[in-house]
Amino acid sequence: MKTRIHPVLIVLTVLTFLFLLGPLVVIIGSALSDTTYLTFPPQGLTLHWFTNIFEISAFTRTMGTSFMLAVAGTTLSMLIGIPAAYAMARYRIELPAFLGNVFVLPILIPEIVLGFSLMKSLASGFGLPISLALLVGHALIVLPYTVRVVGASLNSFDFSIEEAAVSLGCPRIKAFFTVVLPNIRAGIIAGFILAFITSLNDVSISIFLTGPGVSTLPIQLLAHMEQFFDPTIASVSVLLMGVTVAVMAVVERTLGLTFLTK
Amino acid sequence: MSNRLRAWLLATPAILLVFIFLGLPVLATFATTFGDPKGPFSTYAAFFNSRFRMTVLWRTMEVALVTTIISVAIGFCTAWVVARMPGRIKSLLIIAAVFPLLTGVVVRSFAWLVILGKNGILNNFLIKIGAIAEPLSMLYTQGSVIVAMVYLFVPLMILTLVGVLEGIPQDMTDAAASLGATPAATFRQVVLPMAVPGLIVGAVLVFTGSFTSYATPQLLGGERQMMMGTFLYQRAMVTFDWVGASTIAAVMVVVTLTTVLIMSKVARKLNPMAG
Amino acid sequence: MTQSLTLENINAHYGTTQVLEDLSLHIAEGELVSLLGSSGCGKTTTLRLVAGFLEPTSGSIKLGDRDLTRLPAHARDIGLVFQTYALFPHLTVRDNVGFGLKQRNISGAERKKRVDTMIERVGLGELADRHPANLSGGQRQRVALARALVIDPPLLMFDEPLSNLDAKLRVDMRVEIRRLQQANGTTALYVTHDQEEAFSISDRVAIMKGGKIMQLDTPEVLYSRPANAFVADFVGFDNMIEMEAIAEAGDAVRAQMAGGVQIDLPKSQFTIPSKKFLFATRPEGLLVEPETSGFGIPAELGMRTYIGRAYQYHCETAAGVVMANGPQATPFESGSAAMLVPQPEQCCLLPTES
Ligand SMILES: Nc1ncnc2c1ncn2[C@@H]1O[C@H](COP(=O)(O)OP(=O)(O)OP(=O)(O)O)[C@@H](O)[C@H]1O
Ligand SMILES: [Mg+2]
Repeated sequence: MKTRIHPVLIVLTVLTFLFLLGPLVVIIGSALSDTTYLTFPPQGLTLHWFTNIFEISAFTRTMGTSFMLAVAGTTLSMLIGIPAAYAMARYRIELPAFLGNVFVLPILIPEIVLGFSLMKSLASGFGLPISLALLVGHALIVLPYTVRVVGASLNSFDFSIEEAAVSLGCPRIKAFFTVVLPNIRAGIIAGFILAFITSLNDVSISIFLTGPGVSTLPIQLLAHMEQFFDPTIASVSVLLMGVTVAVMAVVERTLGLTFLTK
Repeated sequence: MSNRLRAWLLATPAILLVFIFLGLPVLATFATTFGDPKGPFSTYAAFFNSRFRMTVLWRTMEVALVTTIISVAIGFCTAWVVARMPGRIKSLLIIAAVFPLLTGVVVRSFAWLVILGKNGILNNFLIKIGAIAEPLSMLYTQGSVIVAMVYLFVPLMILTLVGVLEGIPQDMTDAAASLGATPAATFRQVVLPMAVPGLIVGAVLVFTGSFTSYATPQLLGGERQMMMGTFLYQRAMVTFDWVGASTIAAVMVVVTLTTVLIMSKVARKLNPMAG
Repeated sequence: MTQSLTLENINAHYGTTQVLEDLSLHIAEGELVSLLGSSGCGKTTTLRLVAGFLEPTSGSIKLGDRDLTRLPAHARDIGLVFQTYALFPHLTVRDNVGFGLKQRNISGAERKKRVDTMIERVGLGELADRHPANLSGGQRQRVALARALVIDPPLLMFDEPLSNLDAKLRVDMRVEIRRLQQANGTTALYVTHDQEEAFSISDRVAIMKGGKIMQLDTPEVLYSRPANAFVADFVGFDNMIEMEAIAEAGDAVRAQMAGGVQIDLPKSQFTIPSKKFLFATRPEGLLVEPETSGFGIPAELGMRTYIGRAYQYHCETAAGVVMANGPQATPFESGSAAMLVPQPEQCCLLPTES
């Protein structure tokens, strides 16, 4: 059975995917170029620009910061988000329906507004250390992912299994860890990974909450671009694309990538 | 312990996180805008009377709207084809759309800097084939911002719409054909009306996303193509005009929330399943 | 405006797997023919071919004297009722029913009249302005039926239209479908895997297996005279005993089964199809009688169950276990020896499968 697709549409689709992937190929190519300026196709091949990353301490430092921030922020938001998601799935009738909307507020409020407000209130107003404000900001913007992805898993979980465990004498807390958690593992992994990458790539929050001594990789990249235009940025970008590939592999293993079209 | 109490206890940390670190700071920002000694609405009067600020607002609206229209058009046509591909090709295409989506904004905007720059790939290519003699200055124009924004949002649109189109059962289009509808009529009278609610949701995501973006206008628009996001940053961190920045922030929130509320109401009204 | 449907030597493939094999079928004007068979035998595929959603690899499809084989689906003018109903969720009942007329550019007033009449006819007058989401299963079914009927198609097709309804509604609706089909005199092709449904609604039934029609006949003939072992098994001939004709015995043929047991089959009542053949009966086609009766298959009776009009026995014979019925008046003890006497009008002799 063939549904015929108009050839014009096929051509358009091919062009769209060239448009989507072409620029990324350009980055990879120019990261390998043996020139001091960005060019494509690469002229001569070298891995020099990759080793150069590690000679610029601003990059290595912010890489570490970004990674730790993403792990800590996501973990924090998981610790807070999973109980909330559980409460909403398990005790749906006990909680008002608008609560679901409360947890997606961080998506509805423009990130740049949130970043500015956090900077103004927390860092400036209350004198909270900037790194702590950064952590809170990241935990906030990934909260919708953790609550929703874990929530989707929980919604398809049959809670009578948990009740069965409790009826067999298993304490509630233990039942949660031994019966519920293993069954929503895929949702937790996928939620973690999506939150992680969101945090890792964030600009709008971080731009306000970085300062002397504390910066993240995307912010450092922005700053670097304003002064230098050499292939180092391209090679950092390639490293970040590597992280994306790893993330996609994990999502594919856990939920399948088609999950993202739902 | 009652179930209600247990439910609230479990949800409390998340509610507090949102309330204390999102609700209060954002409300504080709003409050700032009304605290002007010249009267509670004077900052807004200043905003809407300033030609420069209005230019920025309209430019941002225009860029967001054009980005949305182009992204919806490209996204719909592409999703239409992707949804009709056999399994293996379809998953490959979905992977090809997810990859840029999960790659950071800075990286994706940077790519266009390399392509559109004075000594960029496009200029070099056009000179080489003799189409132009002097390099064009394509960066820091509205066009360059729109191209990069479309690049940012097309994957999102494709993924959303593939989901929407796959949700339309083949029986629907078969039924239309069996009743004498030509492929064009089936598309107009069955597929499109059924896809519109999902289309609106996707369009709202793109509009609000591009309306509030920072990194892309910063890199590809610069000072010359100031947009609301970059304007806010400039006011807050360069000129330290926090009242002005707060006003910009409030305008952004109002525009975003209004768009979301109106369009989700429209989508709900058009949603066939709601009856 | 009813027309006959003719399929000739249809072959169809999904990719490289063959789904229909050299299938031919003729449905006369106004006749309702069912396709009956287990899951995956190609019923839906046949329907989709006729509807034009699938192209045959070879063969031809004709409606009256119009060749449909290469015609696009929307130009075929066939009313189709889907298993899922496939009602358009964004349209009201009225607009769903009017959809086909709109495609035919029938003017507003005329369209409204025909739609309203049809909606009344299927008993949905009150619900015309509702959306499908707000209808019950049975009501949706009626809308689907009205939508297919209102275009007054020369051919109606149904793909398991009742399988999503509960048992009682299923019986009501099939009567309704039959009534509407006969009132319009429309030719119809009906797909089901429910034997009772097929037999009760159809003029003729095609029993399918693996993309082929095994037998196409009236329900009565299928029920009592299956043409082959597959159909016999399908319609409930539980006992199949392999036999071989070994000699003439006066006006009978002497047949031998496994274990050397012999039985004489009178030529007046049995026609032997080939030297080796299958002797097929339902349990009621083998009557359990005392061992003393001369004619029959010797057996030892096993478990006895009461089935209402009779007792049914698991019987151990030299040719294997068979099911046979015994009279209600004289139950036999389990373990006793007995004769199983074939009832000619309820037995079939079939060629062995090649
Ligand atoms: N789209 C498809 N691609 C590949 N094979 C298919 C496809 N659709 C059906 N088939 C195969 O074709 C054969 C016939 O399918 P068909 O749908 O006609 O069966 P059916 O008789 O309608 O069964 P059911 O009673 O389950 O509806 C099956 O073996 C099925 O696996
Ligand atoms: Mg079927």
